[in-house]
Amino acid sequence: MPPRLSRNSSLLPNASRRRFLQGSAAALAAVGLSNCRRTIGEAEPAPGDDTTASSEASGVLHIYTWADYTDDELAAQFTEATGIDVKIDVYDSNETMLAKMQAGGGDKYSLIYPSDYMVTEMIGLEMLTALDKSRLVGLDKIREKWKSPVYDPDNAHSVPYSWGTTGLLYNSEVLTTPPTDWNYLWDNRDVLARKMTLLEDVRETMGAVLSSLGYSYNATDAAELEEAYQKLLDLKPSIASFKSFGWQDELLSGDNLLSMVYSVEGIPVSLENPTFKYVIPESGSSVWTDTMVIPSSAPNVDAAYEWINFNLQPQVSQETVERLFFATPNGEAMAMLSQDLLDNENLFPPEELLAKCEGIAPVGDANALYDEYWTKVTSA
Amino acid sequence: MSKKHNLPSPKLRISWQGCLTALTYCFMYVPIIVLGIYSFNESRYGAIWKGFSLTWYRKLLGDERLFLALGDSLKIALCAVAISSVLGTLMAVGLAKYRFPGKSLYVGISYLPLIIPDIAIAVATLVFLASVAVPLSLWTAIAAHMVFCLAYIAIVVSSRLQGLDPNLEEAALDLGATPAQALLKVLIPQLLPAIVSGCLLAFVLSMDDLLISSFTAGGANPLPIEIFSRVKTGIKPDINALSVLLILASGLIAACSEYFRYKSQRN
Amino acid sequence: MNKGVEPSVGFGKNFNVAAVQQKLRAAMAPLGLLGPAGLWLVLLMVLPTLLITELSLVPGLRPGEAIEGYGLLNYLRILEPTYLQVLRRSATFATGTTLLCLVLGFPVAYWLALMAPKRWQNLLLVLFILPLWTSSLLRTYAWITLLRPSGVINLVLSTLGLPTQSLMNTSWAVYIGMTYSFLPYMVLILYASLERLDLRLLEAAADLGANPRTAFWRVTVPQTLPGIAAGCLLVFVTSLGDFVVPTLLGGPSSMTISRLIYNQFLGVARNWGFGSALSMVLILMVSVAIALLLKYGDRNPDIYS
Repeated sequence: MPPRLSRNSSLLPNASRRRFLQGSAAALAAVGLSNCRRTIGEAEPAPGDDTTASSEASGVLHIYTWADYTDDELAAQFTEATGIDVKIDVYDSNETMLAKMQAGGGDKYSLIYPSDYMVTEMIGLEMLTALDKSRLVGLDKIREKWKSPVYDPDNAHSVPYSWGTTGLLYNSEVLTTPPTDWNYLWDNRDVLARKMTLLEDVRETMGAVLSSLGYSYNATDAAELEEAYQKLLDLKPSIASFKSFGWQDELLSGDNLLSMVYSVEGIPVSLENPTFKYVIPESGSSVWTDTMVIPSSAPNVDAAYEWINFNLQPQVSQETVERLFFATPNGEAMAMLSQDLLDNENLFPPEELLAKCEGIAPVGDANALYDEYWTKVTSA
Repeated sequence: MSKKHNLPSPKLRISWQGCLTALTYCFMYVPIIVLGIYSFNESRYGAIWKGFSLTWYRKLLGDERLFLALGDSLKIALCAVAISSVLGTLMAVGLAKYRFPGKSLYVGISYLPLIIPDIAIAVATLVFLASVAVPLSLWTAIAAHMVFCLAYIAIVVSSRLQGLDPNLEEAALDLGATPAQALLKVLIPQLLPAIVSGCLLAFVLSMDDLLISSFTAGGANPLPIEIFSRVKTGIKPDINALSVLLILASGLIAACSEYFRYKSQRN
Repeated sequence: MNKGVEPSVGFGKNFNVAAVQQKLRAAMAPLGLLGPAGLWLVLLMVLPTLLITELSLVPGLRPGEAIEGYGLLNYLRILEPTYLQVLRRSATFATGTTLLCLVLGFPVAYWLALMAPKRWQNLLLVLFILPLWTSSLLRTYAWITLLRPSGVINLVLSTLGLPTQSLMNTSWAVYIGMTYSFLPYMVLILYASLERLDLRLLEAAADLGANPRTAFWRVTVPQTLPGIAAGCLLVFVTSLGDFVVPTLLGGPSSMTISRLIYNQFLGVARNWGFGSALSMVLILMVSVAIALLLKYGDRNPDIYS
């Protein structure tokens, strides 16, 4: 017989559903219900909510982060410094990360890297551990701007790790009139026909279209979203694919001419190969902050704190910036950067341009609207 | 590519069906061969040949992540197939031996994993596991793989059972063997080739499964998921090298399987 | 569900204690054989399917949300033009692939079954289905290398001085990829069917003056019709639920029902209710195809022996 979900029960594991399987499958009930969050078959300790007695930080730290965001070198340095092994899995958008965590596929991760607005959303869903500030070293080096960000007042749940912008990376040999703004995509769709990629990121891509219409990245007005949806739909036949990662190959081989990219992905390409230029649309783009958080299901909280502290060290932060090219909110690390990098206007855009950029903020109930329009755009 | 052009047989006439068949064989093998050739291409981008190189194989062999993923896949497939081989065989034998009310319902259910698309099975299993609060792990993936593994094994064993002589088992029973003995000593040996070939089929399907693992494996990262995420986040020639190695490996498994099938038909 | 078992053959003719005991044991025997697998199937196949049937009736259910009530909203949403288009596209991909597989597969199966040298028959058949043993992901991936704008096909075309084609990220790429993936199934089933063909009937037809074409359409095709139906069903059902090919080769305008379902759970949308409803529709589409086969085709497509 079909299991009954009681009217008030939720789909996430919780106690109210314990009668769910009664009389139906004793074996499963014994395993599954005795301890909702226990990870069967893994040697990891039970997840540490704050009551769990903290053990020595050791074992394996599973990290869930953006594709190409941490490299082996960082992990190796960390293991050398702390003796903790690091296993890194990657995701390609905030939403897929959230989906996986919600579906229960992320129970092994003790550290994740959500962006600003996703931090707020996850706090709302009670998925994040409130940070114990006494266990963090070096938080004071964070620049003033990130001391108490709107997405997480007082950094209660998150430590800002990196920031950057979203822009266009293009092949300057073929596109002789360089793009300057979002509308370039619509104006030059003949040249770009099926030779451009947009981010597979609902808030970034919808936001860019909203911005090109003169609206906010965080518009919640249904009419504005509808207009943006129509405009994006209009461009869709000219798009080769929606891709946040892995567009490099197609751009470098000449398959594509232009890609909408995160700065952290675009800048390395533009530095390696001057044919490809990164540009921040002059009417403004998004400026994002990615953070380090500890999910409430984290099995190895101690190691997660170790990782955060390790990354807060200015030396480590500076070296990571020089390898991976994201802007750092760490004031001391920034002071140590080479002049070349500090002068790189793609990495550290001038203030007047930054002023036009917008942070992506949670949109509350409009979330469903964004998702619906995005599903429609990708389904059309 | 296809061998038939060099066949010694003088009887072979060039027919249009033959030509079409040859072309279709090309269609089947060209992608694999191209992949093989390009796994030795030094160039990282596009189809331009930049010179012979073993770089990608070296890179592949040094790729610890990939080997961990392979390990996870093997763990899932071996466990699922091992348990399913017992359950599936018992089920096939049971269905062949007994008639009972609701048998057609049972048979119908046993066909479900073969009929319902993977994505629907995967989604349903995920929702079910979430609703009974079983955290996803390697074991949930094994449990989910067992469903289709046992269905496939049962169907292969069933088809073999149809061709067996029922008298042998009865003779064993008449000679005083217990039903369990009769099953183990008489029936199972006869079924062995079918069981092995069913297991191989289930093993390959399990190793190849992307969707069900994506939805049910927590704390594990089976090979198809790893390959899928790599392909999605950029084409890298070390994937070409991996393909070549995997194709060779599965060719070997296929050869084994065909051998057992051949044997099972001979007996 | 499967507990009500009783032995089929006539044990209890003499009603003594031993016989009753034996009867009891006999009643337990099928349970021992069929119980474990049955339990597993009920637990991880039947219950989950019933559960998504229920969840498909919960409008817009997101993970972590409580069930507030039931309704048909998810199904009504599927009726919106955008999603109907997704269903239509999935069905078109599946139908097109099935036809392509039939057109390409029939001559191959025909040649293998009736015209190939007997010694090589088995080996050639094995060679044809060998790719099935390799990772379907990697086989699809191989086509990216061929189809992309800077890929091998265009390299060959431009070397020959022919205009290059832009096939990657189009529906054509999906058709090619799916046909490539599922053609071996079709050949395997058609071969089994053609191999059983009664050749005397063809001879009789020839004796009676039928030309080969007439004999083919009046004798061969009708005789292999069950096989054709089974092959088409298998390819149709498999390609209807396929996820890998449209995802890797299809580009932005190739959303199919299985990709849409995937996105409702592991992608952006996180709408479990809508995803469950879509799964139910997919299962329904497959069931319709199977019902058609059972009505018109071979009842026991046995591809394993």
